[in-house]
Amino acid sequence: MNSMTVGARAIELDKDGFLVDLSDWSAEVASALAAAEAIELTAEHWEVLELLRSFYAEFQLSPATRPLIKYTALKLGPDKGNSLHLNRLFKGTPAKLAAKLAGLPKPTNCL
Amino acid sequence: MSTLHVLSHSPFGDDRLTSCLRLIGSADALLLSGDAVYALQTGTAPFTALQNRQINVFALAEDAQARAIEVPDWAEAIDYPAFVELSIHHDKVNSWL
Amino acid sequence: MAKSLLIISRQSPWSGPGAREALDIVLAGGAFDLPIGLLFLDDGVLQLAAGQNAKALQQKDLSANLQALPMFGVEELFYCADSASTRGIGNLSLDEAQPLAAEQITALIDRYDQVITL
Repeated sequence: MNSMTVGARAIELDKDGFLVDLSDWSAEVASALAAAEAIELTAEHWEVLELLRSFYAEFQLSPATRPLIKYTALKLGPDKGNSLHLNRLFKGTPAKLAAKLAGLPKPTNCL
Repeated sequence: MSTLHVLSHSPFGDDRLTSCLRLIGSADALLLSGDAVYALQTGTAPFTALQNRQINVFALAEDAQARAIEVPDWAEAIDYPAFVELSIHHDKVNSWL
Repeated sequence: MAKSLLIISRQSPWSGPGAREALDIVLAGGAFDLPIGLLFLDDGVLQLAAGQNAKALQQKDLSANLQALPMFGVEELFYCADSASTRGIGNLSLDEAQPLAAEQITALIDRYDQVITL
């Protein structure tokens, strides 16, 4: 089992680096997960992570790429809801990586 | 457009046959395989329901023989090669899994 | 042009994996941008009942998942009106789903290239 230390806590991760217990998520955990991917979270990242968390709260599943783009366009407008913007922020795999940083389960329909 | 509907569950205590008969089109056909051939048990409600619907009914001969079901003259007993031909003959196959 | 696919979902949400499997096919098809439709038939309409509580059985919330269908590009959503009225389902949790009578379902099946009934 992988784990990661954030503050004084050991956070369990699965083999792909996703949280084992989704309730472990916090802003600090997100920053630590991002650091492990060599990403420094900016305001642009955070708004997508928050969006993913609201997607999960609403639909109880992690979006694949297309639905992520569609949902982002719906909530933040087409300037941000496009693959170029999301790929740039999340190293070309927005559905998978952003879900990881947002503390969501790995998307099952991630193609 | 025509669809071959394929049933394989016993019609007793299962509503696939009932549903299928509600939706089946006049150009469609019905193939009974496995326990679905029990629908051809003479005198039963599924038997009557099938007989009263003027649709093409096929049954896999070996499944009927194994279950001591006699295929009535308004239905046709077929083997596997005929099943394949039937599938090709229709635009699509809808298996009621 | 990709072949169009109709999924007929006819299992109750709590009886086993059938309802979830049907939804997974639809979501995967939607993610691939396939022309895909979903019809709720027989006990499948029970998936649409409003006010279900998955937490009571510690299960995943299928009705919440169903709300994501339009987001996954699946806009063709239908249910059998007879199945719903037989089961006393009046209040549906999925606004986008359209009621169909039996003969409309026959025509619907005709319209798609392939059909999978689960």
